[in-house]
Amino acid sequence: MAGQTVPFFYDDQIRRFLIQFTRMFSNYQVEYGVDDSGAATLVRVPVRYGDASRQAAQIIAQNSRSKMPSAPMMTFHITALDYARDRVQEPYFVDRKTLKQRSWDEDTQTYEQTQGNAFTIERLMPVPYNMTIQLDVWASNTQQKLQILEQILPMFNPSLEIQSTDNYIDWTSLSVVELTGVNWSSRTVPIGTDDTIDMATLTFSIPFWITMPAKVKKLGVIHKIIASIYDTDGNAADAIVDDDILMGTRQKITPFGYQVILIGNQLQLLKQEQVDPSRDTLTAPAEISATDPVKWQGFIDNYGALRDGISQIRLTSEHTDTEIVGTVALHPSDDRFLLFSLDSDTIPTNTLSALTAVIDPLSSGPGVGLATASRGQRYLLTDAIGNASDDENAVAWGNLVADKNDIIEYDGGVWNVVWDASNQTPDQSTNITDFVTNTTTGIQYKWTGTEWVRSYQGLYRGGDWSLVL
Amino acid sequence: MPRLSLYRPNKTNDYKFLDKTISEMYTTGGVDIFVHKYLGPKVVGDSSVRDTGDVTRPTYDESDPLNVEDLLFLENRNRDYDDDIYIMRGVYSVQDIDFDLSQFGLFLNGDTLFITFHYNDMIDTLGRKLVAGDVLEFPNLKDYHPLDPNNAIPKALPRYYVIQDAAFAAEGFSPTWLPHLWRVKATPLSATQEFDDILNKPIDPDNPSAGTIEDFVSMKKKDQEINDAIVQQAEIEVPRSGYDNTAFYVTATVGDEPVKPGTPSVDGYLVGYMTGNNLPPNGLPVTPGVSFPSNPGTGDYALRLDYFPNRLFRFDGNRWIKVEDGVRTELTPGDTDNKTLKESFQSNRATVQTTDRGNIPSSQSLSDLLKPTKDN
Repeated sequence: MAGQTVPFFYDDQIRRFLIQFTRMFSNYQVEYGVDDSGAATLVRVPVRYGDASRQAAQIIAQNSRSKMPSAPMMTFHITALDYARDRVQEPYFVDRKTLKQRSWDEDTQTYEQTQGNAFTIERLMPVPYNMTIQLDVWASNTQQKLQILEQILPMFNPSLEIQSTDNYIDWTSLSVVELTGVNWSSRTVPIGTDDTIDMATLTFSIPFWITMPAKVKKLGVIHKIIASIYDTDGNAADAIVDDDILMGTRQKITPFGYQVILIGNQLQLLKQEQVDPSRDTLTAPAEISATDPVKWQGFIDNYGALRDGISQIRLTSEHTDTEIVGTVALHPSDDRFLLFSLDSDTIPTNTLSALTAVIDPLSSGPGVGLATASRGQRYLLTDAIGNASDDENAVAWGNLVADKNDIIEYDGGVWNVVWDASNQTPDQSTNITDFVTNTTTGIQYKWTGTEWVRSYQGLYRGGDWSLVL
Repeated sequence: MPRLSLYRPNKTNDYKFLDKTISEMYTTGGVDIFVHKYLGPKVVGDSSVRDTGDVTRPTYDESDPLNVEDLLFLENRNRDYDDDIYIMRGVYSVQDIDFDLSQFGLFLNGDTLFITFHYNDMIDTLGRKLVAGDVLEFPNLKDYHPLDPNNAIPKALPRYYVIQDAAFAAEGFSPTWLPHLWRVKATPLSATQEFDDILNKPIDPDNPSAGTIEDFVSMKKKDQEINDAIVQQAEIEVPRSGYDNTAFYVTATVGDEPVKPGTPSVDGYLVGYMTGNNLPPNGLPVTPGVSFPSNPGTGDYALRLDYFPNRLFRFDGNRWIKVEDGVRTELTPGDTDNKTLKESFQSNRATVQTTDRGNIPSSQSLSDLLKPTKDN
């Protein structure tokens, strides 16, 4: 859109190399002979950028013609900056790096020993350039020039490493300074009419990279890693974007292969090889008894810090169309568990009125293990009743004839089958089916067409869940 | 009757009349010019100090302008100038000069003066002709108002030129065909080794602690301050070679699975080129020493200072396992903490103890290596 500007970005990338280049040639000395005791009189050779502005140069000279330049000294300036076609690599390559920082103490301005934020860093392939720098060595006599050169030249055989920063993430920081040429003198030989300051010129080449800013992303989601990203049409792009494509072409991986089990409001972390409790039972599975339990804290530390009530666990179930989302907090006394606060908007909507309980009608009945029959009571049956061979409790249920998985309801006089499992078939095209919640346990069930299963509680294997910090 | 001719092979009264008239003209209309007289290569200390054993750099016991300090390169680097200042009258054309301070104009500007002196007055005053290497100071060009808002400069800045060439002036020949003027070509002085004897004197003799002339008329001090500032910034941006990974966190693992509490056995994903810094991951404590600590606990770290480079170990319950070597180092040349290989040769300040020669420098030139040195 017209009127919008590119966000400003400038990172001193070349400037930082020049600063380090200056450092590389600093602190060398020349000898001004000896004093009366025979000790060498040494003078440091300053190094500075040669292409000073006239205004700054005049300020340095204190606006005085009496100020005189000094020698020896070294000055340098850039003579060329060329795109390095021979070092081009995949221009669209994006490198991703996951990093965990140590927590930062604002009070002491130091890093602590605990984990802080975790980030994913994305770096676009930098652009290769070659920079040519000319270093002029100013000397007032030949001996002085030799003293400087004899100290500098052995450092370049043929090159010396240079770093523009020590940032661990900056993959453009490292380069080399290669000596490519030496011009012995700026004077004509033999000497002309002036005894000018002599200048030896060293030419250096620095191959380096110019980069765009990196993308820093909060490492919040331990995502399933999609190993195969092609859909059935061979379309990679669509497959990446469409997270619902699950045709067996994708391989989902969770770090360490860990799985989680949701029981009530508690989430437990399980190793891959630990018992995989059956999900398709109508009774709540017993807590996993692990002799070597996995602790949530150690796992979360890999990715960042858990923020109670803010961090989320997202569950992907084959029985639901959407992710089940809930905020989590560390269990106050048992670090095997996270407390899971379900976002009720993310679970499937019940299509049937809530159940009073899930019962076996052959072992319990109204007033016998169950409350006395009253209007509106609804039970889901785990066994059939009312057949000729099942007459033992027929008195308790009246003349009710019902099958396993049926839902019955008391209308104040008799029990009726209000949801007949034999007539319920999910629409395969829309996957629309019935959901109902058991008010005794709070567990929601889904009808698969052949049986009732818990809709979202239970085991989530590696790749079926994610952590949002 | 002799032929009419103003030329005489000797200096007659005609010559003397003209010479006195010209001298008077220079005295009346010329300008004072201070001459720093070149005496010859500097003579320092006694002969044992001066003797380098190099025939091409001969030892002189007295200053003599005929001496040449370096017979190979034919240059006089350490020059001795007379402490006395000779005042002479000279004439030159004042010219407008561009303030040329660009890179290649630093030393090559066009501020060249051609000054003429009365020849005989010069000989009477100086005892010889002005020669290349003599330094002229122009009191009329003193700068009383340099850019100095804090009044840090104690005196007006003198203006120096050095003679590049000298010869009889063409305009100085009288009708007698004898010369009366000496013309010198002078260019602005640079603060170099050659003129250290002039510039390395107090700018204010009454207050020697105020600094030397060079401190105020040379840009060397400012250049070094600029250089220092750049090096300081360079050390901020790259304090040590390699990469700083101390800000990052490494999860302690056992068998590829995270454990807590525990200490990482390695730097994990942070391992890379030049990352060894001798610091345990996550800022965990370490015991430095020249031996391993007694009764260590599993996961303890120890830094062995008797290794070069220093080496970091971690105790795994049974033995000390190497974690990393401290390979990161200061990079500024000459810094005592610069441990790079080349710097270990270039800035080697170590000494070696000998049985007969005391401590000798470890750093020795290959050409003189282990040669006996004179005792006095």
